[in-house]
Amino acid sequence: MLKPYETKLKNIKEEISKIGADVIDSLELSLNSLTNKDIGQLKNIEITEKKLLIKSNEIDNMIVTTLALYSPEAKDLRQLVSYLKITNELVRTGSNAKDFAKKFRKSYSDDLNTSIIIEYAIPLLKSSLLSLQTSISIIDETDAKQIEERYHRVIVEESKTDDLYLMVEKNILKLITKNLDLSKEYFDILSALRRLEKIADRAVSIANLLQFAQVGGDMVQS
Amino acid sequence: MIKNDNKSKIDVKNLNLFYGTNQALFDITASLYENKITALIGPSGCGKSTFLRCINRMNDLIPIVKINGEIIIDNKNIYDKDVDEVSVRKRIGMVFQQPNPFPKSIYDNVAYAPLKHGIVKKGKDCDELVESSLIKSGLWNEVKDKLNNPGTSLSGGQQQRLCIARTIAIKPEVILMDEPTSALDPISTEKIEALMLELKQDYTIITVTHNMQQAARVADYTAFFHLGKLIEYDETETIFVNPHNKKTEDYITGRFG
Repeated sequence: MLKPYETKLKNIKEEISKIGADVIDSLELSLNSLTNKDIGQLKNIEITEKKLLIKSNEIDNMIVTTLALYSPEAKDLRQLVSYLKITNELVRTGSNAKDFAKKFRKSYSDDLNTSIIIEYAIPLLKSSLLSLQTSISIIDETDAKQIEERYHRVIVEESKTDDLYLMVEKNILKLITKNLDLSKEYFDILSALRRLEKIADRAVSIANLLQFAQVGGDMVQS
Repeated sequence: MIKNDNKSKIDVKNLNLFYGTNQALFDITASLYENKITALIGPSGCGKSTFLRCINRMNDLIPIVKINGEIIIDNKNIYDKDVDEVSVRKRIGMVFQQPNPFPKSIYDNVAYAPLKHGIVKKGKDCDELVESSLIKSGLWNEVKDKLNNPGTSLSGGQQQRLCIARTIAIKPEVILMDEPTSALDPISTEKIEALMLELKQDYTIITVTHNMQQAARVADYTAFFHLGKLIEYDETETIFVNPHNKKTEDYITGRFG
């Protein structure tokens, strides 16, 4: 392919990485907030679905133009089609990150059993963050072995989030049975934590798409 | 008229061309921009090559051709009576579909026209011009040790780049290309396309192509011709992503032509 195509592809990759970095930043901020038990800090998360949509639409249009002008084939085609789907995954991921911060901050209070919530929320958040970081890092990887390794790391972290969520759900349900007056707050906390589990699901989907882009095979989206 | 900040190099106004009583071009009006690549696309017989040849007055060589309208280059209509067509062709070089090197050495192929036009004299100046032209055409490294070999001894792709070197040796302002890669294999084609992208920094390039993907890949602007009419002319991105005319869309998507 000609240089202009390579430049366009580079720009698209950079823009996708930027969106990914924004989502990662907001998850890191959330993690800091929970680790320092400074839940009020969650309001500093600026990421919004609207902003992400504007960026993802820009990227999608760049991809459509590149497809129309350069008629890419094989790996070039796989990459662009994957990137087109990844932008959507990233918007949803960002939306989940924002929802987590918003819901968690709103529902968290000293009336709840905060030690149990934090005990599970921090590892859940760490696994979500790691799964997303790892999946996005595949975009610059060209070595098939490395891609496979990172892909499995994403799967492992996503599986951890599933287990952690089941455990926290079980524990919170127990707490609800003991204090029904706080059931709404506990369910809201669960709903917030569920967003983290969804982020890891999206990370797997991104990893699948990037693996398809780089290595080939059939396109799989979780 | 396309709205942009580009500087127009060639302004075509109400151009009509007749082969005897048959009209081949109908009222073409367009601005072709400096240091840009403009691709002319359209089905066979739509007038794109005829239009291209109007830009360096090549059609003057056909006795039955009649032209009216204007082609203004740098504020001068090249069809004015006081304009000499040879001087026009010196400013506007042309590369053809089939590579057509002279039956001379590689060196002489490039040096012939500059010597003839008195641009350089034999010796160091001429050597330097040959070298710089071959460098610009991306051929120098492949031929620097065999400049005395015949031009025809090169491969098809190399011959085409030699023809480009020959064209730029006379320091034209505009390069016209009439299906410059249609006789070449994909690797040679890619080299020529890459070369076109390099050359546009110094020249205005107008190219005719049947290869839609080539137009999409290299051209900044694309003009779609049909039955002698300029149907749509716009930025290549617009033509290939959001064409305004249904005929353009049908042609681009392979529904006719």
